[in-house]
Amino acid sequence: MIDIMTWRYRVTLLFFLFFFFSILARLFYWQVVRAEELAALGQDQYGRIVKLNPQRGEIITSDGFAIAANKLSYLVFANPKEIKDVNEESAVLSTLLDEDTASISALLSLNRYWVALKSHVDRQTKEKIEPLHIPGVGFEEQTVRFYPEASTAAKLLGFVGKDENGNDKGYFGLEGYYDRQLHGKTGLAVQIHDALGQPILAKMNDTVGEVDGRNLILHVDRTIQFLLDNTLKSGIEEYGAASGMAAVMDPKTGGILAMSSFPTFDPRDYQNYSDSLYRNPFLSDTYEPGSTFKPLIMASALDAGFLTPDTRCTICAGPVAIGGYDIHTWNDQYNANETMTQVIQHSDNTGMVFVGRKLGEDRMLSYIKKFGIGDLTGIDLQGEGTPPTRADNQWYPIDLATATFGQGITVTPIELLTAFSAIANDGKMMEPHVVSAVQTPDGETIPILPKVVSQPVSAQTAKVMTEMMVNAVDNGEAKWAKPKGYRIAGKTGTAQIPIAGHYDANKTIASFIGFAPAENPKFLMLVIIDRPTTSIYGAETAAPVFFKVAKDIMTYYGIPPSE
Amino acid sequence: MKRPVYLLIFVISVIVGLSLAQISVANQIATTGSELADLQKQVSDYKRDNMVLNEQFLEASSLTNISQKADKLGFVEAKSQVYLNTPLPLALKQ
Repeated sequence: MIDIMTWRYRVTLLFFLFFFFSILARLFYWQVVRAEELAALGQDQYGRIVKLNPQRGEIITSDGFAIAANKLSYLVFANPKEIKDVNEESAVLSTLLDEDTASISALLSLNRYWVALKSHVDRQTKEKIEPLHIPGVGFEEQTVRFYPEASTAAKLLGFVGKDENGNDKGYFGLEGYYDRQLHGKTGLAVQIHDALGQPILAKMNDTVGEVDGRNLILHVDRTIQFLLDNTLKSGIEEYGAASGMAAVMDPKTGGILAMSSFPTFDPRDYQNYSDSLYRNPFLSDTYEPGSTFKPLIMASALDAGFLTPDTRCTICAGPVAIGGYDIHTWNDQYNANETMTQVIQHSDNTGMVFVGRKLGEDRMLSYIKKFGIGDLTGIDLQGEGTPPTRADNQWYPIDLATATFGQGITVTPIELLTAFSAIANDGKMMEPHVVSAVQTPDGETIPILPKVVSQPVSAQTAKVMTEMMVNAVDNGEAKWAKPKGYRIAGKTGTAQIPIAGHYDANKTIASFIGFAPAENPKFLMLVIIDRPTTSIYGAETAAPVFFKVAKDIMTYYGIPPSE
Repeated sequence: MKRPVYLLIFVISVIVGLSLAQISVANQIATTGSELADLQKQVSDYKRDNMVLNEQFLEASSLTNISQKADKLGFVEAKSQVYLNTPLPLALKQ
């Protein structure tokens, strides 16, 4: 009897165990093996995963003003099935949305539950449509990039456009270079559907992974940028130039305080401008620097110990013949036995040939490289280029001679500005930077520290060269434009433009580079006026623009005249 | 025989107690959920208002705008400045 009971008991137990494990196996199959597929199916019935674009970081000038921010805009949508009179509503909406009546009418006639009528509609337009209470018309909030200073610093900032998937993407300037930082991380959320499969806009579950973009804190000073923009623009108009560009740097940190170029574009409306205007010529255009290059060669020769400011030029009595060419001065006037200080003051080409000969080929090329000519500066902006420099064995005597006064050698404006930071900063050349810090959404500020790239010349050489440049401003061709009482170190440049193998005498790139106050420079500035027509000379075009901005900056900084 | 009865009463009491507690907590959560939704809406509204105000502030304080308004009001650029280089003779010891 006991045996039978045990047998029955065991069979029953096995029977239940079999069912138990069968259920367990089935549950494992549904909940583990096919879990993802079933979850997706289930989710598809009540909603779909949508990407949530994070808020783009702001670009903030050093005075705390958001020069690139975000503003609220709206997507206007409609449910065509709720529209009673398509013609009447189309007429009203097309007027308010500034769209073609036929296209609005076509959208409202579609056999759909949801159509987008127009995106990025501003708040004012929304406030005009809303009181009309048109059935079936609604609004979805969006954000759009907003540049409150309009085209100010447009080429420095770049703009926000769309990538191939229709997502926001920064192009050119800071928006392009720092796009990943500004963009943040895209989040995911489930968009709940109603029974008909239409999205219920208010029903969005918790977002996952969305991180807003980081803010950029700039070295750029909004006031200096505004002054530079206005003065440069007026200068280009006044001197009948084709274009112009300028930048201001703090030579002690390499921080870019302002950068401007014209013609320009409005980043709020970039689509309506030519693509060629998006580029920042201060980083990508190459030109022959002309006489603004002379202080670099002179500083090299002083640093190498071959010259002093009082060394006299022994070949400056007339044109200098080299390799079948005659080197003349810019005005064909010659100053025999002039000192090196006077060579810079008179911007004497023959004097610079003398300097080049003293320095020698190898040392000259070595110093040019030390000043970073031929290398990218590493500025944190999209689109920097650098002209290729010729190989060391491809320099002929005439090339070396003309390079001493900035002809036959090409640079980008940012390269020249960076090279001069060494003269203005005790011989230390700084890496140019536009961004001084990055701010995370949590409020943490990550500073970008100033970086010394190299020291091409000694502090003593830099001081001596500064005094020679102060003398050039006080007694040179541009002295008439200099603000009284200030000690400004500077140098004019008038470079002819090479066209088809020769120089066009009537088309020049006029420029002025300098820094102030000479004894403790607060800013270094390069102004370039392209093909001015009222005068071809840098002293009569770029220099007045430089001095006007310099005086305004010193007033802004509260720097009194020292003389 | 009494022990199982007490045990049964105890278990039932616990079940009833826990059920009541669950109903109470569910009730509270239901209300809190609504409050949370209200708070979330408020946060969203404040964020929207903040963005609108920020836009208005940036537009109004942009140098481009201020410069245009200054021109309209007849302001002109100061052509010269006066710097007081000599310290004023205040509280000097005799």
